[in-house]
Amino acid sequence: MANPQVAGYAEALFAVAAAEGNLAVVEDELFGFAQAIRSNDELRSTLADGNVPAGRRLQVVEDLLSGQATATTSALVSLVVGAGRAADLPAIVDAFIERSAASRNKAVATVRSAVDLSVDQRQRLAEAIKTSSGKDVEIKVVIDPTVLGGVITEIGDDIIDGSVRRRLNQLRESFR
Amino acid sequence: MSKLRNRLLVAPLLAVLGLVALAGPASASGESVGGCMAELFTEAIEEAHGDVAHAAHDVAVQSALEKCFEAPSPIIPEVNEIIWGGSAFLILFVIMAKKGFPAVKGAMDARADKIRDDLDAADQAKTDAQSVKTDYEAQLADAKAESSRIINEARVTADQLKADLAVQAEASIAEMRERAAADVESSRQQAIADLRTEVASIALGAAERVVQSSLNAEVHGNLIDAYIDEVAENNG
Repeated sequence: MANPQVAGYAEALFAVAAAEGNLAVVEDELFGFAQAIRSNDELRSTLADGNVPAGRRLQVVEDLLSGQATATTSALVSLVVGAGRAADLPAIVDAFIERSAASRNKAVATVRSAVDLSVDQRQRLAEAIKTSSGKDVEIKVVIDPTVLGGVITEIGDDIIDGSVRRRLNQLRESFR
Repeated sequence: MSKLRNRLLVAPLLAVLGLVALAGPASASGESVGGCMAELFTEAIEEAHGDVAHAAHDVAVQSALEKCFEAPSPIIPEVNEIIWGGSAFLILFVIMAKKGFPAVKGAMDARADKIRDDLDAADQAKTDAQSVKTDYEAQLADAKAESSRIINEARVTADQLKADLAVQAEASIAEMRERAAADVESSRQQAIADLRTEVASIALGAAERVVQSSLNAEVHGNLIDAYIDEVAENNG
């Protein structure tokens, strides 16, 4: 957590969510919104554009999250976007989730897959990771069609790549 | 020279004057046929004491008169002519001996000296020309030798240059061949690599499409389960 502004905002989000008592839901919603910003360049540039009036940017957030997220999540996203930190929102959310997991003595395992994992698969994967690395993790799934099949798990700087994409890349390298 | 020329002109002039001056007395001493006859007839008249007819019919007088018709000797001149001619000759001879002959001799000597000098000069000129000719021939021989040497050197240089150019051309050709062979080999390798990449890309694209078409929910589930098992088995 090298950026102090990111850590500060993450801590603030964690405090608010914890105070509201819906930390797990807020985590999932913020995680989903952060992934949406990562994958949508237009949305990211719009929310991070200082030339766009703050009211317009907050209106966009309200339009996106209205009826899709809790009031706490909407308020937290509006806080960050209104402060002009929309570009840092994905990093803030990641730090928030890590902070939240750390409060439960857990790490965050970001799992990329072409399809969503079932609850059973998430639980078994968490157990497998704990078995292999000794870390108690919380699974955060990112739907990424480029993975094609299989799973890519990121725990901090560690990456466990079991995707079909990796195998195709290995096959491509073998041709060279 | 002008003095000698004057003497040469004066000598014949004096000779002509002498002849003209002395010719008069010589011709005057001679008698005509009429004069002879008149003189003889006068003498005969005087001997006949004035009797002209007697004198005219005298046979002796007539014979003497007939002698007046006889020509003088064609060989022996008259005595007075001999005297006048001899005197003129002597005078002319003396004049010529004193004035004409020395002048002619001097002119002849001068002419001889001039001719001798001219001959000497001609000999000297001939000698000089011979020397010049000898020098020229020597220079010509040297020039011929030099030209031959230069031609030989040029021929040797040309041969050497030709050989060097041939060697350089061979080297250049060999280098070009090697370079061309290397280029061909490089192009071949590049073509093979490009073809391999293209084939791999096509094969991978086809494989990806096959995989995508075969990835249904069950396959995804199986892949995820296999991944979980693999992570679980990778203990430590």
